[in-house]
Amino acid sequence: MAVRAAERIRKAITLVNSVADGAGDEDITPTEIAEAIRDCLELSEVDDVANVRRYLGEALDAVSDGMPADFVAMTLYAALGALREGRPAG
Amino acid sequence: MSSAEGRGRTVDEAVDAALIELKESRRNVDIKVITETPDEAVVEVTVIDHEAAGASGSAAAPANGKGEIARGLVEGLLKHMGVRAQVTVRPSSEPITLDISGRDLGALIGWRGETLRALQSVTNVMVGRHLAEGERIIVDVERYRQRREHTVREIAMRAARQVKMTGDAITLDAMQPFERRAIHLALEGDPDVTSGSIGEEPERRVVVGPRKPAAE
Repeated sequence: MAVRAAERIRKAITLVNSVADGAGDEDITPTEIAEAIRDCLELSEVDDVANVRRYLGEALDAVSDGMPADFVAMTLYAALGALREGRPAG
Repeated sequence: MSSAEGRGRTVDEAVDAALIELKESRRNVDIKVITETPDEAVVEVTVIDHEAAGASGSAAAPANGKGEIARGLVEGLLKHMGVRAQVTVRPSSEPITLDISGRDLGALIGWRGETLRALQSVTNVMVGRHLAEGERIIVDVERYRQRREHTVREIAMRAARQVKMTGDAITLDAMQPFERRAIHLALEGDPDVTSGSIGEEPERRVVVGPRKPAAE
């Protein structure tokens, strides 16, 4: 699995989960979440595996559209799952 | 449902005392912390009646419609995943909590609870339209989340004792948001220590330090 991409996706997921779970010890803004997802999109390795860029793009759109944190998290988990699956991009 | 009160120096000790009285294992009980001070912990341990809990999943639908909807959806999801497990709505839990139990469910928990957290996200998306603003469904597999919360509360109490002895702040290991929240809640009533968090996700850590006296 592309380790750097997985790390960055996990970081984005944790940020989103912080919003959803409400740890109450930090203020996460949608901009920060969007930044974390853009950090993932910057990596070329997300293009090597099928669907990863697509899911990350959907997650970014979801943040922009103000979708619930769980929806964003679910889409990011899908990206992580696709990365794990490792099917080469066509 | 039978229950027993347990007392001990720590929550774990108190739970063990109650479990001995009930002759039960941790897996089959619901634990409620009544009081927790640096010197003593008192817990109420209630044996889960799985049959009744299962029945509450189906029969108590009118009383807990949202829980029942969530239970049905998660059950269907697990079926599609080929996972054989029983899903029940935890009785009188707030927020609504779904317990998934069965054999070999480690894969459903995943690395540091990652798969479990993903399952919870999917569940909340599926049930979302039935929930009020800010309302959430908690998903637990084999009481993993509950056990983890207990563990971090223990860590918090231990850290608090050490801070009181030495007067120095302690930085704990990186934790997930729900774990950090459990620590903040465990220590919020302590007049001598305070908790805060430093660092960025996923390396965000709780710092337990001495509470500074209010400026005069």
